Amino acid sequence: MAYTLSFILFPFVIAVLLSILGLCPRFFTGKTHRIRPKRRRIDPSFCIDSLSNLIVVLVSAFGIWTLKEGSKYPPQSYILGLKMEVNKEKYAADLSSIKEAHARISSFIHKTPVMTSESLDAISGRRLFFKCECFQKGGAFKFRGACNAIFSLDDQQAAKGVVTHSSGNHAAALALAAKLRGITAYVVIPKNAPECKVQNVLRYGGQIIWSEAPVQSREEIATKVLQETGAAFIHPYDDVRIISGQGTVSLELLEQAPQIDTIIVPISGGGLMSGVALAAKSINPAIRILAAEPKGANDAAQSKAAGRIVTLPETNTVADGLRAFLGELTWPVVRDLVDDIITVDDTEIIDAMRLCYEILKVAIEPSGAIGLAAVLSDSFRSNPAWKDCNRIGIILSGVDQTNALEPS
Amino acid sequence: MDNKFAFRLYPVYVWVRVTLLFRREKEEEEKSKNLSQSYTFVGIRGLKMEVNKEKYAADLSSIEAARARISSFIHKTPVMTSESLDAISGRKLFFKCECFQKGGAFKFRGACNAIFSLDDQQAAKGVVTHSSGNHAAALALAAKLRGIPAYVVIPENAPQCKVQNVVRYGGQVIWSESTMQSREETATKVLQETGAALIHPFNDGRIISGQGTISLELLEQSPQIDTIIVPISGGGLISGVALAAKSINPAIRILAAEPKGANDAAQSKAVGRIVTLTETNTVADGLRAFLGELTWPVVRDLVDDIITVDDTEIIDAMRLCYEILKVAVEPSGAIGLAAVFSDSFRNNPAWKDCNQIGIILSGVKKQEEINNPNTRYSSSMGGRIDKISHTEISKYLTGCKNKG
Repeated sequence: MAYTLSFILFPFVIAVLLSILGLCPRFFTGKTHRIRPKRRRIDPSFCIDSLSNLIVVLVSAFGIWTLKEGSKYPPQSYILGLKMEVNKEKYAADLSSIKEAHARISSFIHKTPVMTSESLDAISGRRLFFKCECFQKGGAFKFRGACNAIFSLDDQQAAKGVVTHSSGNHAAALALAAKLRGITAYVVIPKNAPECKVQNVLRYGGQIIWSEAPVQSREEIATKVLQETGAAFIHPYDDVRIISGQGTVSLELLEQAPQIDTIIVPISGGGLMSGVALAAKSINPAIRILAAEPKGANDAAQSKAAGRIVTLPETNTVADGLRAFLGELTWPVVRDLVDDIITVDDTEIIDAMRLCYEILKVAIEPSGAIGLAAVLSDSFRSNPAWKDCNRIGIILSGVDQTNALEPS
Repeated sequence: MDNKFAFRLYPVYVWVRVTLLFRREKEEEEKSKNLSQSYTFVGIRGLKMEVNKEKYAADLSSIEAARARISSFIHKTPVMTSESLDAISGRKLFFKCECFQKGGAFKFRGACNAIFSLDDQQAAKGVVTHSSGNHAAALALAAKLRGIPAYVVIPENAPQCKVQNVVRYGGQVIWSESTMQSREETATKVLQETGAALIHPFNDGRIISGQGTISLELLEQSPQIDTIIVPISGGGLISGVALAAKSINPAIRILAAEPKGANDAAQSKAVGRIVTLTETNTVADGLRAFLGELTWPVVRDLVDDIITVDDTEIIDAMRLCYEILKVAVEPSGAIGLAAVFSDSFRNNPAWKDCNQIGIILSGVKKQEEINNPNTRYSSSMGGRIDKISHTEISKYLTGCKNKG
């Protein structure tokens, strides 16, 4: 590598040296220093020669610089006559922050595979591409956002640790990312949380702090920990760094399968959805982004219909990872960049989970199978708007953590 | 030329001469390296081990031909890594996930190669087999792709899930009695009636070449691998993998993993001829076959060692695979990982410098087997474990005690 680099750079170095020396013809003539300095006429050919060398060097350096920096200025996206600039002023993250996140976390995450299946293509009538985030470290895509958040803390803040009160995949991912950086992660878990979730956090080295079941108690204890330790509170989805981290899924997916024209994403708090939509629409403004949501937790669908954030008094679905509501940062992206939200009921989700296992041989959790359920649902199949969505990317967001495959 | 310009050209001239000199030196070094490689390979233990067609059932060219033939039909399965498993085992592990292959196991490669290398006349008559495992399903699927009939002879007492598998992939089920003779007789009868070709599950040059394509992909995806651990049953997979790998990189080590309750290959290697057992007793039901005439020479010459593991280790490895790698492999598939964790591998000084190990996860857990309470390991996938305590496994994973 160094060999070829020197091969290329050597003529430039020589050119620079020669141009410098060319401006001092005295050294070339080899004449000794005269006591009475004689005024020499400068030969114009020397100047032109050395100047042209300099110009060549400068122009090539500038060319290399523009090639490197050119990706910072993507074309603006014009959709329906509306100028929709996907830039930092309007949304919580943008393509540059997502690319930064990718550079920051790529040495820690797995670049998960994209799998296809002709049987599922035949059943659905489209070409499906499954981005297997279930094989990500920690068992779900959340590790990307957590990593980005933790590795963008400055050293002083990081030394105090991080705190969260999610008990799902976010807590496990945060604990794992904190372990990688060597800092403490405080996880507030309610007393009635299932054993497997507790085990998960422990396994990844997180410190558990018990609280009562209601959300207020969890938040109070999290605030207490924050005040006592000065740890940074990392929200599961309503955080710029989390959204940028999740957006790296899009970057990889569109690299691995650039022919995709639609992406179907499970939606809960909207962190994954926002990141994926921001990245995908910046790379390919014509791509369609669809969300998949359970009927028993269809707050996002209601929000989109009503034009403002809607929260439900209770949620009732087997997809336990999709029960959160939209946040202040994720709602604008869902409102503007998500083309539609497909709601499916629990039986469809479980059917899709089973299909995924039997045909794709991947054991995913219900929240992860909802994308496939959406593709196979009647509302998607019969909708004329999505008739020409032929190459669909589906994100399998997380793996089955509870060993639900065993006979009960 | 002007004097002044000649001065300027001199450094350029020097640079050109020097780089050309360096480049020639580099070429000569590479050439000598190649030569020495072939010398060491030929000189191992004083035996001339030429991996060529005259000696073994397949070779690198037949495996590459197989790859060209089947690549449009198979999945190029991913290679996965896990830092947790690397930490537990103390080596760098690369898992070739053949469990995601079409049909649920690597057997689809060999079946595809066999079926697509039949000439049209023979293919029109169909294919027949009397395996009831992954090979039958793979053959049925490959035959469906080519549009020819596949006759699968299944004994009456076969579990329903196996029958379902064959039917799902479009194979024609032909019932026979449960004994081995009856199965073979029925197969011969079908052969005579229809003129179909009998495709052996492993003792066939085309099958071996098909399985060998795994090596080609694995060494492309992870060229730094210095050891490959392969489950061994009839020897089809390991023959193909060994032939390809040793041709590409003669210094690579090939190790086999076998269950203690079906350790015919280990006994054969020790004795120096094919040994068959009177009965096999293992949870890894895909590894109960014995070596064949074509696979035995490769196992004898190109496999460096056979590691036997017992059933508890296999189930442990299966669970680890599921919890850490998030892949539900069948016991026969998890045996490679079990071998890496086994004491016989860890304590063996011969394998102390095997640091980049490729493990082949050969097949996936079938959904029906999980729901069937008769399967011995079905209870191990959940919280209720018969033999292995959850705390032992957690010890691997966290090193901290259970809380709450």
